[in-house]
Amino acid sequence: MVAVVVVLAGGLLLSVAAAVTVGPADLSLGTVWLVITNHLGLTSADVPLLRDHIVWELRLPRVLGAAVVGAGLAASGAVMQTVTRNPLADPYLLGVSSGASLGAVAVLVLGLGAGAAALTGGAFAGALAAFAVVVAAAGRQAVLRPTRVVLAGVAVAQLCAALTSFVIIWAADPHATQSITFWLSGSLARADWAALGWAAPVLAAVFAVILWFARALNAFAFGEEAAAALGVAVGRVRWLLLVTTALLTAVLVAISGAIGFVGLLLPHAARRFTGPDHRRLLPIVVLAGAIFLIWVDTAARTLFEPRELPVGVLTALLGVPAFVLLLRRRDGNA
Amino acid sequence: MRSPVSWRVAAPLSVLLALLGGCAATGDNKPATTASTSAGPVALTNCGTPVTVTKPPARAVTMNQSATEIMLALGLQDRMAGTAYLDDQVLPAYAAAYAKVPVLAKEYPSKEKLLDIAPDFVYASFASAFSDEGVGDRADWQKLGVGTYVSAAGCPKDTRPAKLAMDDVLAEFREIAAIFGVGERAEALIADQQERIAKVSAGAKGTRVLWWDAGNDAPSAGACCGSPAMIMSAAGVTNIFADLNGSWADTSWETVVERNPGVIVLIDASWDPAAAKQAFLEKHATLKDLPAVKAKRYVVLDFSSTSAGVRNVLAVEALARGVGGVGN
Repeated sequence: MVAVVVVLAGGLLLSVAAAVTVGPADLSLGTVWLVITNHLGLTSADVPLLRDHIVWELRLPRVLGAAVVGAGLAASGAVMQTVTRNPLADPYLLGVSSGASLGAVAVLVLGLGAGAAALTGGAFAGALAAFAVVVAAAGRQAVLRPTRVVLAGVAVAQLCAALTSFVIIWAADPHATQSITFWLSGSLARADWAALGWAAPVLAAVFAVILWFARALNAFAFGEEAAAALGVAVGRVRWLLLVTTALLTAVLVAISGAIGFVGLLLPHAARRFTGPDHRRLLPIVVLAGAIFLIWVDTAARTLFEPRELPVGVLTALLGVPAFVLLLRRRDGNA
Repeated sequence: MRSPVSWRVAAPLSVLLALLGGCAATGDNKPATTASTSAGPVALTNCGTPVTVTKPPARAVTMNQSATEIMLALGLQDRMAGTAYLDDQVLPAYAAAYAKVPVLAKEYPSKEKLLDIAPDFVYASFASAFSDEGVGDRADWQKLGVGTYVSAAGCPKDTRPAKLAMDDVLAEFREIAAIFGVGERAEALIADQQERIAKVSAGAKGTRVLWWDAGNDAPSAGACCGSPAMIMSAAGVTNIFADLNGSWADTSWETVVERNPGVIVLIDASWDPAAAKQAFLEKHATLKDLPAVKAKRYVVLDFSSTSAGVRNVLAVEALARGVGGVGN
């Protein structure tokens, strides 16, 4: 187990190191590394300012952003699937992504603010608002029945999607719609040091919380009676985990838009290797999520360069066949 | 292909029509000449669709700003029963004429609304006007005997010019004028525009330009073959994204930095103002150090002047003068 984590952690470092050398601009390996060692204070070589920026301000924050978003989505997905006892659960189950979309579209289209910060803020506010509505709609009984939370989430997601379409059709111009669509499809293009500065600590804190509750999550996997019998305060823990993962997802979706399939697929894939024990599953799924999204985003920005694809399109293109394969192999084993 | 395929003058019938046409045109400040009163059926192929107009339309409806302004530039406001969908304001020179034409809707009117107007000709800048979000299929209108026309630049992809040129836009002026029997007005307009372009385009030779249309994450830039490329080419500048297919394409800031444009065109639109674009560039950790941004070598163009129509000449002039003015 420790060996697997070490290997994956090494793989993550290598992935960051390799991905940062790949991009539409034709920079040599040496230049890229010189820029990074310059900034780390190890060297002080002369690199043209714009090349320095390409590596340090565009590529590196983006690669790290992919790692943070991938890790966060994978962890949230794993927790959601266990807490709701629903294999179809993903981080967006509780209306967070559709709320974020509505918030972002409202900012873009209704001109509630200008610039990237306004869009991120709008998305975050929308995500939290949608989650609050889901919680309110689910009501107190939801503590006992997770299905109610899921159903409330689905209903709110539908409502937000309808309102998003309404705002786009009512107010937007086709050209504005195009840039909205790009963001809605999921993109890491806006990941910068500032975004990392608050997403990474949130990820670390939420990960610490869910790792702390790993044994409780194991108990959930056997059902709530079993969990209660094992001394887990089922209602309280469930809410705590749902709220923390929803917060994390809201932060991620504000940075990258809704990137699908990472949070659904990777927990299933990781479980095949780790079994159901969350003390093993959580560290591995987080590392795997980070590595996966780094490479998919690298493909999104280089495959058709100088054009760029929304990364969410690629995660779906890769994710759906992988998911089908996974289902078939599971059937074969059963 | 987009010029009139056949011209026929149906003598006896057109005498009556000529009288009507002459009456309709009396409010016009341009003289209704004999050419305009002798118009007969016009048959042409537009976006691969055969269109026959048996007599000069008297109740035309335009959709999209460019189509509306081409009609007004040809002095055809008296033949217009309605108009719809401006991106911003019509050019001041046409404001008085525009005020006489009923506005049917802020964007596309519904099909029912348009039927109610009983148009005899429907002219749009983009094929989307004849989709479900607009007034419905062109074929349905043709069946009702209503002529339809879509700008060459706005045709569906398979019938659009592979690489849009000013000549395609000028040919549109000529075709519309022919349909309305005012051919000589188009020639005057075309001669004027060609002269203005020739006057400015020499000074801008070779400046490398980024045409930034919209989008902060993946900037949508003018690509090889649409109206942005047409305007850049007419202004005599070099498009840094001439290697991308289509009219616009999503690209990346990394590539923009690598290609390092000499001048940046900022498209000014209500949904993405040039001022916001400039602020974004100057605050961005990387882009603020681009030489063009540092020296504020920007040219601001209205979005409405960049879709194919009578305003393109304004964009060409602004771009060529802007590039010349900032030196290179």
